[in-house]
Amino acid sequence: MNGASHNLVEVRDLTVGYGERRVLEGINFEVRRGEVFAILGVSGSGKSTLLKHLIGLYQPMHGDVLISGASIVRAEGDERLRILRKFGVLYQGGALFGSLTTVENVRLPLDEFTDLSEVAKDLIALSKLRLVGLESAATKLPADLSGGMQKRAGIARAIVMDPCILFLDEPSAGLDPITSAALDALIRELARGLGITFVMVTHELASIYSVADRVVVLDPRTRGIAAEGAPSWLRENASQPWVRQFLKREAA
Amino acid sequence: MAVKPPVELPVRWALSVRPDGAGKLAFAGELDAESTPVAWRILESELARIKVATFEVDVRQLVCDSAGLALLYYLSVGRMTPGASVSLTGLSPELQHLLRSFSTEDFQALQEHEPTCSPFVEDVGAATRSWLCDLRQQVEFIGEVTLGVLRSAFRPRRMRWKEVLRVFEVAGVNALPVVSLLTFLVGMVIAFESAQPLAQLGAQVFVANLLGLVMSRELGPVMAAIMLAGRSGSAFAAELGTMKVNEELNALQTMGLSPVQFLVVQRVVAGILLTPVLTIFAMYAGLLGGIPVLLGLGFPLRMVLHQVQSGLHFGDLAEGISKSIVFGAIVASVSCLRGLQTGEGPRAVGESTTRSVVTSILLIILADAIIASVTYTLRK
Repeated sequence: MNGASHNLVEVRDLTVGYGERRVLEGINFEVRRGEVFAILGVSGSGKSTLLKHLIGLYQPMHGDVLISGASIVRAEGDERLRILRKFGVLYQGGALFGSLTTVENVRLPLDEFTDLSEVAKDLIALSKLRLVGLESAATKLPADLSGGMQKRAGIARAIVMDPCILFLDEPSAGLDPITSAALDALIRELARGLGITFVMVTHELASIYSVADRVVVLDPRTRGIAAEGAPSWLRENASQPWVRQFLKREAA
Repeated sequence: MAVKPPVELPVRWALSVRPDGAGKLAFAGELDAESTPVAWRILESELARIKVATFEVDVRQLVCDSAGLALLYYLSVGRMTPGASVSLTGLSPELQHLLRSFSTEDFQALQEHEPTCSPFVEDVGAATRSWLCDLRQQVEFIGEVTLGVLRSAFRPRRMRWKEVLRVFEVAGVNALPVVSLLTFLVGMVIAFESAQPLAQLGAQVFVANLLGLVMSRELGPVMAAIMLAGRSGSAFAAELGTMKVNEELNALQTMGLSPVQFLVVQRVVAGILLTPVLTIFAMYAGLLGGIPVLLGLGFPLRMVLHQVQSGLHFGDLAEGISKSIVFGAIVASVSCLRGLQTGEGPRAVGESTTRSVVTSILLIILADAIIASVTYTLRK
């Protein structure tokens, strides 16, 4: 297996910011196929900004982001669409369309991008909903779902086109510990069962140890990466004391 | 009996039926979101032509994604081969796991759930009820706002004058250019259009009188109010609507502050104060718009001004200004009411903005008609 196909996401010398202000500088890391990768950092360290660059919503000031070998920064038109089809995104609030029912939300990409029959689209959408445990809420509107259910419906919509990568923006934000743990279990199950690679941004340390294979910790002072590695290893062996502290404090 | 699918498909299959009614379908290749719809259609028509008692689907050499799985599931529950017992062979454990997420019950539940059309009588009842509720809310609101304004009038220190000033600037001062331009052009058009018919009567000079009357009594206040509704009323509704969506209104209520007292009264007071100013500007701009036309028709400026002066009375101006005060109160309070009535969901703010503009303009014209007929009767 060559390097390009081994690393599903590659970030090369990425510098991002707003206007003149630089938020992150010279970021480099890779996400390997099949792993659950987490981007950690304190509030305001640029986690969400970084994620928005990874999924091509913002243009970086400098550097490149490769999604399974193809640059999402430079791609345009059909090529960009092809890259976009390789991943799904779960936004912080689920970002379900409020005027559509849950099953219609999940079906939307199928309606837009495939010629499948109505029966096939319903079957696929319902199977994704069953995978996330929402089969009984198929005909409800997003407003009638709880926060955790909205996120699960968001995941179902994100995986309906069988992407190989799933980006999650603060999956446990605003959820109670039990719902959050259930969501972690779902992430693990999907990673194992469907072989999806996960890239998540989070500050929820409680779930990191049970979910993530590898993490990077962003440093707001140097605007770079403070540490990279398996979370439980970093907790004891990170070179910077504040990273060890940061990882320990909330793990307890 | 073997059927060959079109060559360009990444998936191939061999369909065979033995004389004892045992059918077999062997797939090879890839069933993805692009090939599945085609394969689905072809297979459906092929299988409709044959009759089998048992049916074996061999997927050992098949790679498939969710779309392909949907087809396999559809085959496996016998939808394409009614009456036959279907078996899938060679399915990998991962795909088997995924196939279990498909369910006929879910599908049936979805089909049965198709939204039902409510009967006509029920619709009429619901509409009437919501209309009456809205009316009741409006009456309550008028009372609450009046009380709030009076309370502020008696205790002006409690009023947030800074906010009044801000609204006055944003909704009033900043609207002056556009209101002036609009009425200037309207004045010009009216002068043009009325010059011809009046010329036939030899009364062209009365264009100036007409313009003065129409601008001060009717168009000045109405145009200013309509601009206010479109420009600032919608902004009030969107502002309050967003606050409602963001739970800021709930925060006010739990702090013991009334949203009406805290947010609406300032806007209504500012609206009442700023509309007369806008209206005076509108009146003058309208007259100014007519002057170039009259000069073009050959009347000297002095004569035009004299005509306007002799045709206009204090009562006309007073009527226009008092109308504008009523309009200002209507626009500001209706817009705020619509903002406070904002429901849930992403479309709610847009809806209340639209409703604020529609209701404001409707009530402006209604109030104008009432005031015009009352003053007409009084003048007689």
